Amino acid sequence: MTRLPALTGALCTVLILAGCTSVAPDGLRSDVARHTQGRLPAGTELPSPATAAGPQADAPAGTATAALDPASPHPAHHAAQVDAWLAQPVDADTAVRIAVLNNPGLQAQLAQLAAQDAARAQSLTLINPSLTLGRFTNAHERELEREIGLGIVDLITLPWRARWQGWQMERATLETAQAVLRLAADARRAWLNAVAAQQTLQAHARLHDAAVAGGELARRMAAVGNFSQLQQARELRVQQDAAAQLARARLAAALAREDLTRTLGLWGPQAMALRLPAQLPPLPRAEDLRPGDAAEATALRERLDVRALRRDLDTTADRLGVARVGALFGDMGLSHSRNTSTERDSGHREQTRGWELTLPLPLFDWGGSASAAARAELDRSAARLRDTALRARSEARSHWLRYRTAWDLAHQQHAEVLPTAQFMQDEAVLRYNGMFISTWDLLAQARSTTLAVAQATDAVRDFWLAEVDLQLALTGTSPDGAASAPRDVALTTSTPTREGH
Amino acid sequence: MQRRHFFAGAATAVAAASVNRAALAALPEPVSQASADTAAPLAPPNGRPYRPVITLNGWTLPWRMHNGVKEFHLVAEPVVREVAPGFFVNMWGYNGQSPGPTIEVVHGDRVRLFVTNRLPEHTTVHWHGQRLPNGMDGVGGLTQPHIAPGKTFVYEFEARRPGTFMYHPHADEMVQMAMGMMGLWITHPRGAHPLIAEVQRDYALLLAAYDVEPGSKTPRVAEMTDFNIWTFNSRVFPAISPLVARQNDRVRIRVGNLTMTNHPIHLHGHEFEVTGTDGGPTPRAARWPEVTTDVAVGQMRQVEFIADEPGDWAFHCHKSHHTMGAMGHDLPTLIGVDHRGLVEKIQQIVPDYMRMGERGMADMGGMEMPLPDNTFPMMTGAGPFGPLEMGGMFTTLKVRRDLGANDHRDPGWYRHPAGTVAREWTGAPLDAQAPRQTAPGTAPGAAQVHKPGHAGHAAPGAPSPGAHDGH
Ligand SMILES: [Cu+2]
Repeated sequence: MTRLPALTGALCTVLILAGCTSVAPDGLRSDVARHTQGRLPAGTELPSPATAAGPQADAPAGTATAALDPASPHPAHHAAQVDAWLAQPVDADTAVRIAVLNNPGLQAQLAQLAAQDAARAQSLTLINPSLTLGRFTNAHERELEREIGLGIVDLITLPWRARWQGWQMERATLETAQAVLRLAADARRAWLNAVAAQQTLQAHARLHDAAVAGGELARRMAAVGNFSQLQQARELRVQQDAAAQLARARLAAALAREDLTRTLGLWGPQAMALRLPAQLPPLPRAEDLRPGDAAEATALRERLDVRALRRDLDTTADRLGVARVGALFGDMGLSHSRNTSTERDSGHREQTRGWELTLPLPLFDWGGSASAAARAELDRSAARLRDTALRARSEARSHWLRYRTAWDLAHQQHAEVLPTAQFMQDEAVLRYNGMFISTWDLLAQARSTTLAVAQATDAVRDFWLAEVDLQLALTGTSPDGAASAPRDVALTTSTPTREGH
Repeated sequence: MQRRHFFAGAATAVAAASVNRAALAALPEPVSQASADTAAPLAPPNGRPYRPVITLNGWTLPWRMHNGVKEFHLVAEPVVREVAPGFFVNMWGYNGQSPGPTIEVVHGDRVRLFVTNRLPEHTTVHWHGQRLPNGMDGVGGLTQPHIAPGKTFVYEFEARRPGTFMYHPHADEMVQMAMGMMGLWITHPRGAHPLIAEVQRDYALLLAAYDVEPGSKTPRVAEMTDFNIWTFNSRVFPAISPLVARQNDRVRIRVGNLTMTNHPIHLHGHEFEVTGTDGGPTPRAARWPEVTTDVAVGQMRQVEFIADEPGDWAFHCHKSHHTMGAMGHDLPTLIGVDHRGLVEKIQQIVPDYMRMGERGMADMGGMEMPLPDNTFPMMTGAGPFGPLEMGGMFTTLKVRRDLGANDHRDPGWYRHPAGTVAREWTGAPLDAQAPRQTAPGTAPGAAQVHKPGHAGHAAPGAPSPGAHDGH
């Protein structure tokens, strides 16, 4: 058994490369954070890996079920940070901070990214040589065969594969960053819905109080003979309607709050501690609105899904070379064998040592089909990039339109509809003063005014929801979630050396 | 309020541009009135003499004599009438006001009336109660073509009998009268007349009703029954001038009705006789004393009495809602309803809400609550003893001992001789044991018999079935 310097050299290269491809200690979170930078409110931080958490690692074995407690898997300082945020009424930005730090779904995704990274490092590190042992006997001879072999294509393509895997990880990182942004958008939407529902609930509570007063006054009217039972029943119906609407508003507010606490990953006492501001943020002024002209360019420049697919295209183009080498020399093998044959009668042994290089003859397949496949994949990659770019442009336009229209509608509600409703209410009071209308007519007008206030609240909420979508469409990813569809295609892509055979 | 405002002015000249120039050259200059105050009686400057009438919150149209013919010029036009101070209504009228100016002539006068139409639609003038040639009767389509906008027509006839008359359109009249197109016509007797007494005070007024939506300015012309502004000469109390008389003056009041309902006109403190209708002077044998006379739709009544009782006497339509300002007609009665604990709740949603009507509506007279713009309040007017709670067809007859013969000015509130005003009883108190209804819907002393099987069905507070059940 002689060692060849070439083999030694190859092994050294492997070791060196394996050293380069160590696992990222933070599970690539800093890379994710780099992508989300500027796209999240200041002070937003990703959770540190749960395994790094001292208190959790030290937890006694008997409390393994404690891991199911949604409040406990975070490191202690996360919980303290969330508690500090919850001490004040939570605004939209803080809701995003809490969600990013605290949402278990995101934590799962980050952990998966770390796991992917580890797998990548592993796939690049371990290229195990093969050992072949054989024992053959016939009537007069016994033969032992030992062969140690090394697929040298793995070795030759290692730099390519390392680079390609790096790209793959970068893409996975970009996708995780998109998930972070989607979660941030979800948190904002849930917050807006919860605050608006709470505001609407208050309006309905006021409505109900007034309807109860009207119903009670009607009851007293009937009691002294001024109302018939039918007239009283009519006012009672108003009261019953108000009660039903109040119940629905209460349910809607509770469900919206539940949705918010779930998105923020809050549970138990923390969910109880969550307080919200009494009102939605006011509408921005017209001059502070985001202009629509730069929307498409911004989306193409900023969106992470577009970036990921552009990276994909680069990777695929780079891989076209690998595919050719792999196709031509995919089965190239280098082996060293030591065969021992022993004559059974004489006990004479004979040893054969030697090297064996297996080269496939590209007689029928000069790599044409493999490179055609690679080229097709390049086309697919390019088309997907075009498709996503098209979607990004279209979404930039349509979400800007929705945003602008939502502002116009909300502004109309506040600048025109509410003053009109208030004016009608004031006039109703004047008419009541002049004994032109009754208390119940006045209450009916007040109900319609209060409903107008609730509608105005909805319009402001819709504006801010449209703003969240626009923000995501311009700088993050598709708010409709459709852009994530090609992801499964990407996941089927395997390593190039095992492709095409 | 005694001042006259004659504007033969710029507005007339500008608007006259649409009128045929050649025709205009022969026309008497139209005279216009800008004030809704009562003008001083117009003493006849020429022609046969007569004692002029006083048009409450109105005026008499001046004329010119032309070859022995009295020529008047009426201009039908949109006007803004001050129905009460601060309450203006867009109307259609004549020569700046609604009602139009009173036309006063003497029995036997030859009268030529130029009528210029400045309305957006055609019109005519019907001379209600006159004997005249059929073609002068002013029924559009029947006796004459309509007067198109911008056109001037001439009516000419002789005042063939004395009496109290009116003029109003007979073209799209439902709309035009709902908009205030009307005026008085008085034909004075020529010298002494056996059935027409000489009077010291002669007042004339037209009854008109409008429906003006609170907060608006133009009457709803489609309304047929549910009016809310009840007027003497398109004015409402307390903006209607008082009728003033020196003690023992003989007073005549002429009332014409151009509303869609009758009005029992009632005078306090005196008896009067109806001395004339639009048919002419009432024969003496047909007169009887009254304190109220019903003036039916389209009728005129002329009442006379001696104002011998000093004081401030109410003079009004006896339909109580005709002495009210605008109010809702679909309001539940709140009397006796306990509001405790509810007002605050309602104020949560209507911060300016105030309780009203719990004790009746008289509270309204004392309250000064903000109303919609240009809205005449339901109750208004204050007297020397407090809120009068009146608005609409109400004014006062003010009889005073010391008053100039031609003094029509408001002499102020009556100063009652000592001991002649109703006062609080300060003697023994009311016997607390007197029968008294305490529970609503239950007659005092009624038998409390309950029908078997029905006891549980009675609504709380509803009359007990036994109260009106004899079985
Ligand atoms: Cu009346």
